[in-house]
Amino acid sequence: MSTPAATSVLPVALALWRRSLNEVLRVRGALLPATIAPVVFLLGMTGQFGRLTGLEGFPTDSYLSWIVPLSCLQGAGFAGAATGSNLARDIEQGWFDRLLVAPVPRPLLLAGPILGGVTRSLVPATAVLVVGLALGAELSGGLPGLLALYVACAGFCTVAGLWGVFMALTFRTQQAGPLMQQGVFLAVFLSTAYTPEVLLRGWLADVAHLNPVTQVLELARQATVSGLEPSLAHTLPGLLALAGMFAVLGGVALLGLRRLGR
Amino acid sequence: MNEARVVLALGRRALSVQFRRAQLLMPTFVLPLMLLAVIASGTSAAQDLRGFPDVASYLGFIVPGTIIQGALLAGLTSGTALAGDIEFGFFDRLLAAPVHRTSLVIGRQAGTLGLSVLQTTFFLCVGLAFGAHYPGGFGAALAAIVLAAITAVGIGGIAAALALRTGSLSLLQSIFPFVFVLLFTAPAFFPRELLTPVLRDVAAYNPLTYVVEAVRGLLTGEHGLGDPWLGLAAAVGLALATTMLATLALAQRLRAT
Repeated sequence: MSTPAATSVLPVALALWRRSLNEVLRVRGALLPATIAPVVFLLGMTGQFGRLTGLEGFPTDSYLSWIVPLSCLQGAGFAGAATGSNLARDIEQGWFDRLLVAPVPRPLLLAGPILGGVTRSLVPATAVLVVGLALGAELSGGLPGLLALYVACAGFCTVAGLWGVFMALTFRTQQAGPLMQQGVFLAVFLSTAYTPEVLLRGWLADVAHLNPVTQVLELARQATVSGLEPSLAHTLPGLLALAGMFAVLGGVALLGLRRLGR
Repeated sequence: MNEARVVLALGRRALSVQFRRAQLLMPTFVLPLMLLAVIASGTSAAQDLRGFPDVASYLGFIVPGTIIQGALLAGLTSGTALAGDIEFGFFDRLLAAPVHRTSLVIGRQAGTLGLSVLQTTFFLCVGLAFGAHYPGGFGAALAAIVLAAITAVGIGGIAAALALRTGSLSLLQSIFPFVFVLLFTAPAFFPRELLTPVLRDVAAYNPLTYVVEAVRGLLTGEHGLGDPWLGLAAAVGLALATTMLATLALAQRLRAT
């Protein structure tokens, strides 16, 4: 038999999830920047750096296939970070204060918007994938690879959402928006974004090795990079990296939530 | 004389607003440097590719891409600030002042020019601190700053025209990704000969191609990498055309109101 608290939890989370999705339906073009930016990066980087596949040690001869998962993650990450911007707006406009007095567990107030972010992230991730495949990227990993790509995107969007929420709860202003976006930008690009680890030189090689997003990218690249066949060895490190980031950022977001209103 | 003072005052105001609102400076000063750092380290193996020019420093080779990215962002930021002025009513107050209306556009452009000069100087210094070489020397660096500033005015003209036509701050904020279309369809970080064939064809029609190659030619001292005069012609042409576009947009706005 379920407790009264448990019965009230799900409807509240669903209501907040629906509210965050309403934004997409009500604001025309709300998803356009988050969708167009990664597509532009996909096309731009492929055009600029396409010849890098000619270097010894590059696992695929299609740079587009190498970059598609990165751009999918980028799109999902920006959609996640937007959760933080929306929360900052709710705090600034006083709406979040009203939510805080509701008789529901506080973490639930974050779960709905983050779930909304994950749902929204499907749009840019899919748009990038479709554009990439249309331009010649290979879906070498088949269905398991595709599943890995979407798990990586959903996980990274959640993590980016928690980062955005933490920033929003810390600064409590929409002006922190660029910090949220640039945090995602940095996390993605300080990894094996352009080239595999063996071809990285200097400080970036060390940073990329330590950056958990490198593992998440490897998880995602099982979909399109022929040198990275779907396997547990390529999957587990990515899942662990996501779990680690979720634990750390989730923890600091909850701490920020606890401080709010004191 | 009076108009020159108006232009200077508006230019100074545009600059001081930028520096008062740090969130406007983050994208223009920090983002290009972040991209520079990542590209410099992430793609430096490209020097081993056949056909890559023999340059003294890879960082020095890609700094021009960062400079042009900065110019693009300076221009866009200026348009965004103008849209803010329109949306919050400050621009209407300016329109009531007894000054030539064109001075309002040129004043804004003067602010963009100043911002770009500061920004390019900053990028060149940071590049130098991190090991970039500029064999072209001090004069070449100055010429690169001038080229970037004129380019920023050109982009600022497009952004100002959009701001004057729409008066929408959110529209200006949402065109941010399109800035990268202009950047990536020019040989910003890679030699034109090594771009993919489609992009190489597109790059020939992008005026920024000639500007970025000119800056590269100047800084590396290798004029085979880019013709400074061609770059100057492209930058001046862009600045004149878009300032005219912005002035027309202002005239249209005045007629409509």
